[in-house]
Amino acid sequence: MTSDSNDIEFRSVAKRYGSVTAVSDISLGVPKGAFVALLGPSGCGKTTCLRMIGGFEQPSEGMVYIGGQPMNGVPAYRRPVNMVFQQYALFPHLDVEQNVAYGLKQMRPRIAAAEISRRAREALEMVRLAGFGKRRVHEMSGGQQQRVALARAIVNRPKVLLLDEPLAALDKKLRTAMQIELQSLQRELGITFMLVTHDQEEALSMSDVVCVMNAGRVVQIGPPQEIYDRPANLFVADFVGKTNRIAATIEPGANAVRLANGVGLAKPARANGTAGAAMVALRPESISLVRDDTATLHGTVTHRIFLGSSVEYSVEVDGLGDFLVTADRRSLDESDLAEPGERIGLRFDPNAMHVFPA
Amino acid sequence: MRAQFNTRFNGLTMRAAKNTKRNLVMAALVAPAAAWLCVFLVLPFIAMLVFAFGERAPEGGYQAAFTFAQFANLPTRAAAFWNTLMLAPAGALLCLLVAYPVAYYLAVRANPRYRLILVSLVVVPFWTSLLVRTYAWMYILGSRGIPNLLAMIGIEDVRMLNTPGAVLLGIVYGYLPLMIMPIYVSLEKLDRRLLEASADLGAKPVSSFLGVTLPLSLPGVMTGVALVTILLLGEYLIPQLLGGGKVFFIGNALVDLFLQSRNWPFGSAIAVTLVAVVAVVLMVAMRIAWKVAGTRQVDLV
Amino acid sequence: MTKWYRENAPITAEKLADELMRLKRGSVNRRHFLGVTGLGLATAVLARAPGLFNSTAFAEDLGTQMSLATWPNYHDPATFEAFKAATGVAVEVNVFGSNEEMLAKLQAGGTGWDLFVPTNYTISTYAKLGLIDELDLSKLPNYDASTENARFTNEGVIDGKTYAVPKNWGTTGIAVNSAKIKKPVTSWKEFFEVAMAEADGRAMVHDYQLTTIGNALVSLGYSFNSVKPDELAKAEELLIKVKPHLYAINSDYQPSMRATDAWMTMCWTNDGAQLNRDMPEIQFVLGKDGGEIWSDFYAIPKSAANKAAGYALLNYLMTPENAVKEHIANGAPTTDSRVLKLLPADVTSNKIVYPDEAALTPLEFGAAVTLTDPGRAELMARFKSA
Repeated sequence: MTSDSNDIEFRSVAKRYGSVTAVSDISLGVPKGAFVALLGPSGCGKTTCLRMIGGFEQPSEGMVYIGGQPMNGVPAYRRPVNMVFQQYALFPHLDVEQNVAYGLKQMRPRIAAAEISRRAREALEMVRLAGFGKRRVHEMSGGQQQRVALARAIVNRPKVLLLDEPLAALDKKLRTAMQIELQSLQRELGITFMLVTHDQEEALSMSDVVCVMNAGRVVQIGPPQEIYDRPANLFVADFVGKTNRIAATIEPGANAVRLANGVGLAKPARANGTAGAAMVALRPESISLVRDDTATLHGTVTHRIFLGSSVEYSVEVDGLGDFLVTADRRSLDESDLAEPGERIGLRFDPNAMHVFPA
Repeated sequence: MRAQFNTRFNGLTMRAAKNTKRNLVMAALVAPAAAWLCVFLVLPFIAMLVFAFGERAPEGGYQAAFTFAQFANLPTRAAAFWNTLMLAPAGALLCLLVAYPVAYYLAVRANPRYRLILVSLVVVPFWTSLLVRTYAWMYILGSRGIPNLLAMIGIEDVRMLNTPGAVLLGIVYGYLPLMIMPIYVSLEKLDRRLLEASADLGAKPVSSFLGVTLPLSLPGVMTGVALVTILLLGEYLIPQLLGGGKVFFIGNALVDLFLQSRNWPFGSAIAVTLVAVVAVVLMVAMRIAWKVAGTRQVDLV
Repeated sequence: MTKWYRENAPITAEKLADELMRLKRGSVNRRHFLGVTGLGLATAVLARAPGLFNSTAFAEDLGTQMSLATWPNYHDPATFEAFKAATGVAVEVNVFGSNEEMLAKLQAGGTGWDLFVPTNYTISTYAKLGLIDELDLSKLPNYDASTENARFTNEGVIDGKTYAVPKNWGTTGIAVNSAKIKKPVTSWKEFFEVAMAEADGRAMVHDYQLTTIGNALVSLGYSFNSVKPDELAKAEELLIKVKPHLYAINSDYQPSMRATDAWMTMCWTNDGAQLNRDMPEIQFVLGKDGGEIWSDFYAIPKSAANKAAGYALLNYLMTPENAVKEHIANGAPTTDSRVLKLLPADVTSNKIVYPDEAALTPLEFGAAVTLTDPGRAELMARFKSA
């Protein structure tokens, strides 16, 4: 049974290439109109999932539904989805407008030429490329090619727009601009966007729902803040945002966590680990540097990187090794930055710790 | 002020020296090719031009003169020109029809593991002389070959050798690798994602082929067609052996004029005319290719 | 070597080798390409393998290699093997389909031939163009002018100087496969009629102006050697009418006749004898309305690189004992009474090789003018390109 409110649904989907399993047992529902990001390191199976939706791969097991319709065995050209390919895959022998019109020309019943041209130009306007229709593809810059690929993919009004690492080839500034544009485009079109990326920042900033994948499985699904603030496991904590990993033990019976250097701390309320070896993840921005006796841990500053609004420190913590600390400028006096070599105290709220079984 | 001028001057001379050096290197690189072209292409062509306006000596050969008589005599070889200008493109197109699916299979469909072997199989026959391979066809098409098999099932006295069909078959067979290879290369470097993009945009396989694969392989197709057509314009072995001397190409007319009737001036006039015709055909073909493929990467010759 | 043509069995390795040997000796066209394809080179290299011994019988250094230009199916390969065994000189054989081709090659220069085989009517032109030398008869002790039949040998002597010595004589007749063609062919008129009817698509003419135009002229009642424009025009008309019905225009017709791809062809005596010997159903007839009688000569090009070897081979071939073997192998009638005496009776009584004098009466020797006449050359070229 599929829910009509889901544009895309995976049910126990697995994909194997010979003896290699790319994706195993994925079940997933993407609500209509959502902006979903499939996030994970390369080789985690996220692109395979996207390609199974696009119709370029068939699942070895399980079912894929688009708009409630089972898609197994349906070829790519009969699926109501369109894709923005990684290196755009624009047709080099066609000009910009012909690229955009390509999908419209495949429509049956046929659309009148004038209508095709009108819709293609409309799509180009949406991606702010009006007037570039007669250009050759290779005469366009990377960012412009990206927009052509986008226009080409949305011109057919797909139910779902698939984006395969669409911003990977752009420089940082352009990438940020495109992130905003993609978001507003999605709002404008009101269709489901499914983005594949290995860039956590991209996933967090654009999507409503992030689906973190690892080793062919979905590890966590949720809104960006939840993924960041409440990582489901150490992998997510590590992969999404920066994190300090600390070996620790959950004291038997006692409501305490003992770090590897012997410091004991109150166990965070939401941590539900059982007694035994554990791993603590602590975000760099949860830590403050202090010079008074409120410090929980002590260490020596080894490096300092000045980032403007904040400062990143590398601190060699006694008995625990290297820590990354992002200090808000306010945490120490403005003129009073810690110096490399200086002994310093680290303070944090024990509730900021994420405790996972080791 | 003076020092400044001097530095600038030094800079200029240095740049000039650098340029001279670069030019020398360039000249050294280009010289062998230029010399080769000059000795083996330009000089013979000039000789041909001179001959073309001369006269046949009484016992044959060349005799100095300045006359347009040889060119005026061209219509007597109209049939050979016509045969060549029809059969060469026809042969090339037939070759293309056979070669394209083969190249497509090799580049797109074949298991990459066996691709190299399959491509070698296409090329290996090319290592044997065309003469020997054409003789093999003479045997196959001759009475002891296919007609003999046909006779066994009661179809008597079929003649295959020395027909225009045999010549066309020989042409297609002989030039197939030359057609397959450029098409194979252009298909092999075709980005598969373009086909996925095409399918993604709703194009059925046939539409994808016509809308993406075919236009993008056009440079290879044009290279192959041009290569085969040009070589066919000078062909004379295959028509001689499989056509029994009855299917006559310009190449055969030239052999005849130089090796039988010893009419060098007329032969030269025909050769010069053929070169002119080829040049025109080539230019038109390239124009068309550029228009259709929308790319200037038509790597001709 | 020729035996296997009678069989239709699949080809064996040995036969393939034979076929390749044929290819080497082969036709006009094969020759064009031997050099280009590397096959010629390969055979030349093979042939260059050092002989078992070098004869000391020759005072001059003969080298190890020489080149002979001749006609298809015109020599016994054993002759050259024996010559090589005796002298250490390997003979490279180039074959041609027409005298015009030989002339064109010599005119263009750089043939590398040390000995070649021109036909009677061409010798005066070669001498006039200075392409051949007067022969030094002292180097040909085995040649005896007095035993030669003057009818066939006089064209080798110009102004008392001997430029060429006779190889053999022969005729140009019609070879017909009687198993395929029932209608008797006895004249060139009938040859062209049958070529357009019963032998449609199965008749061959030479790639050679002298015989192809000559026999067409004869069939129309004109002289074999005519260069009259109006008569040539008639001949051209006939040839162009016949052309679509022909199997091929090729002077190397033996392979096609043996394979029964072709059923009828213009044919030289020696080929006729060879074909009839191996395939009795192929008959050789002389046109009762005329045709060609010819004699072939040996001559040495002025440009020959290895004249010593050229003379040595020529002298070897002039030896009656050797000439007899050649004769028996290739079937071409001799001009030398010494050879005639040594021949077995079955050869001398063969009517293909030695026809009755009456059959020879209507035949004509080729005339020198046909070799250089631009009208005939151009007619032939137009016929082929039509």
